[in-house]
Amino acid sequence: MLDRREFLKISGATAFAALFGGCERMPQKLIPFVIPPEHYVLGESLWYASACRQCPAGCGIVVRNSAGRAKKIEGNPLHPVNRGKLCARGHAGLQALYHPERLGRPLRLDGPRGSGKFKEIPWEEALNLLLSGLKKVRAEAPSSLLMLTDPMRGHRNLVAARFMKGFGSPNRVAWDPFGQDAQLAANEAVYGVRDLPEADLAGTRYLLSFSGDFLETGISPVHYGYAYGRMRQARPTVRGKFVHLGPRLSMTAANADVFLPIALGTEGFAALGIAHVLVKEKLTRAAGNASALWEAGLKEYTPEEVGKRTGAVPEDLVEVAREFASNQPGLALAGDGAASCTNGVFHLSCVALLNVLAGNVGKTGGISFPDRLAPFSGRGAEAGLLLPPPGSGYEDVRDAIGKMGKGAFRLAIFSGDTNPAFTLAPSLSFREAFLSVPMIVSFAPFLDETSSLSDLVLPTPTYLEEWWDDIAPVGHGGAVTFGQPVVPPYRDTRPMPDVLIAAARELGGPVASALPWGSSRECIEKTYAGMGIRLEEAHRDGGVFPGKEAASRPAPKAGKPSLPQVSEASFEGDPARFPLLLHVYPSISLYDGRGANLSWLQELPDPIATAVWRNWVEVNPATAAKFGLSDGDGVTVSSPYGSITAFLVLHPAIAEGVAAMPLGQGHTRYGRNAVNRGDNPYRLLPSASEGASRAPARQSTRVSLARTKLSGALVRTVSTEGQWLYENIL
Amino acid sequence: MAWKRRLAVLTLAFLPPALVFAVAVRAETAPQPIRFSHKVHYTDNRIDCRFCHSAANKSQYANLPSVQKCMACHRSVAAGNPEVMKIAKYWKEKKPIPWNRVTELPDFVYFPHFRMVTYGKIPCLTCHPGTDRVAAAEQRQEFAMGWCLQCHRSRGVSIDCWTCHI
Repeated sequence: MLDRREFLKISGATAFAALFGGCERMPQKLIPFVIPPEHYVLGESLWYASACRQCPAGCGIVVRNSAGRAKKIEGNPLHPVNRGKLCARGHAGLQALYHPERLGRPLRLDGPRGSGKFKEIPWEEALNLLLSGLKKVRAEAPSSLLMLTDPMRGHRNLVAARFMKGFGSPNRVAWDPFGQDAQLAANEAVYGVRDLPEADLAGTRYLLSFSGDFLETGISPVHYGYAYGRMRQARPTVRGKFVHLGPRLSMTAANADVFLPIALGTEGFAALGIAHVLVKEKLTRAAGNASALWEAGLKEYTPEEVGKRTGAVPEDLVEVAREFASNQPGLALAGDGAASCTNGVFHLSCVALLNVLAGNVGKTGGISFPDRLAPFSGRGAEAGLLLPPPGSGYEDVRDAIGKMGKGAFRLAIFSGDTNPAFTLAPSLSFREAFLSVPMIVSFAPFLDETSSLSDLVLPTPTYLEEWWDDIAPVGHGGAVTFGQPVVPPYRDTRPMPDVLIAAARELGGPVASALPWGSSRECIEKTYAGMGIRLEEAHRDGGVFPGKEAASRPAPKAGKPSLPQVSEASFEGDPARFPLLLHVYPSISLYDGRGANLSWLQELPDPIATAVWRNWVEVNPATAAKFGLSDGDGVTVSSPYGSITAFLVLHPAIAEGVAAMPLGQGHTRYGRNAVNRGDNPYRLLPSASEGASRAPARQSTRVSLARTKLSGALVRTVSTEGQWLYENIL
Repeated sequence: MAWKRRLAVLTLAFLPPALVFAVAVRAETAPQPIRFSHKVHYTDNRIDCRFCHSAANKSQYANLPSVQKCMACHRSVAAGNPEVMKIAKYWKEKKPIPWNRVTELPDFVYFPHFRMVTYGKIPCLTCHPGTDRVAAAEQRQEFAMGWCLQCHRSRGVSIDCWTCHI
């Protein structure tokens, strides 16, 4: 109990604290605007339609602007890709806009190269440095200019491509660690169309997913999430069934009616097992006519044989095949887990074969290939620059690294929307090779592992502060999205296309005539005004969205299915020394690592592991028991290429013999929210390529686990293990 | 007698912060960076309050005019006045004018201007009396709760606690 004397002491202290701090007055200075923002009305919200660039999906957004500040991002209800919905990464765009670590002035190297030490300089000086570098390179050897960017779309890409062509350098490399090379190659092989398909989830009755995490990190998670909701609930008498096959219970898999765990790198064989039953029992018309497939080798992939390879129960495969055939239109999808094996094209081709056997190509509830560039049909070859094939560019990156080592480049222009020093396997030695280029100029809003290697960093605005346009890779053929500044530029930044246009004007000659505009805004507006688009309406709506999709192109090979070339997934490392297969997947919140500097995304619990702010490795409890490990232990994960540490998370639904890690954590330079959050799993990966498409093969190494002591603990919002113990699952 | 003792203890505990607060509310307004006269603008030249305080009918806050708005008139009107020349200097340097707060309401009161102005049709001078007559603005009406309630009662407006204390 508190006696009176003590209480008086405390109350006296309270009064004292109140006197000198607790009773602060309201701000005494009232600071009005010098020039208020355009359309500024205090107390009235303005909504600006624009587009999201937190991942390559290309969703439409509307941003609430109040008192001159962007306050909230929502999905654009008019936009056909996301229909008013938005994911957590999209919402977190505001944090990128107002991030305290955003670059606001150009930076010049002020220490050893790669040290990350810079000093601020004025824009005039920075542009002079860039120009003198460009002039020198053009005079000596124009082809020694390298441009390394993310895969840009729309007129941002057109400006960059024209700049390089006008300058006289063919060395333009676009790097996306989750590029769709395997999907493109498989579609070309099976359907005869080298493009991403429109998968009509909303209209399908039976969905088969092979490691396709389409609800979290696929090509367009919000688009598919919306369509998935419609598949389940929008039809009064039909609730589509969803079966997921894969090595790990992802969030998407957890949504499935049936989850069939299969071994890592066996998705294609599971699809062949289902195809075997379809053809054997002549369950669909196309399967009944596929005797050539049967003779070509499909007859060998009996459910029993496939069960041995994949770990699936043969009866389950038979049942899935029969259900798939009797619930048409059905749809089969594959995702990054299958595509990034060393035989990814084989897996994806087998999955595509199921669509062909179901006879759903070009039909409602199936697969179609609309011409997304239909609005630009009058632009000729340049139309392709507005929506380049969504590949990873891995071969080009490797080629460029080789050339860097040989001194082929004198100046590198880098765009900071991609981060190769973080996302490439360390055995490629990107950092060392990049630093061998005599001059590196980065366009970046933040300093990360790659942009901090530069000699000169030019700060760029976020996507919420510039004029741009976009064509989404899936979602609607024929839609064009417009991005516009939703607030005045928050820092002293300039968009990369604007700087390239200004530099071209100064350089003169062919590069100046290739970029004849005053700014990127003028470039976009002239183009679309020339196409008869009313710009004011387009900016109001966030784009041009024809009600009807562009017509689907024919899939010439779909009528004559052939058995994909069978190949086995290979994993590097001695099984005795590295007994587990490593499965890495993009994080739902951090994606490839680009979201790691945003605290909203760091504190977003993973839907399965419920962990925040740190890295973890997920294994089956039976696997952990073999190593004598238990939930929450610190472990060293070692592959033939490197070792990292992480906390152990047990999950009973992950396949045995697999260790799964999310990508995205482990930054060494990306601001205070991103660094010291565990190690980078990319460091475990080999530099292997997928056999047919040359994409990075991330699922291609073995690892071992060993207990180690780590400081702190993995913070999780729920003790899932406790729940499983309660439910007698463990 | 225990309750008396408790009362004394509570009084001792809460009196000092209450006194400090009272002193804070009655603090005098610091001199303004520019000797702006409401009388000259409102009474002599008949400029409506909402010409400058343009958000009073739309927002919680009445809004202070931007430097750009001052200069819209003073580029030509009274441009030679020494006080106007101070504004021109802020404009030239593109710096905001650091006005000192005149009217202050405790932060536990929610007072949206637009409710009073748009829906209550309350003239500005009801709560800011004398502003039309003085050279330098000052808070002449203390915003005590009894004064607020008197007006609310006379106009039949809600006096529920959460009308203002939300």
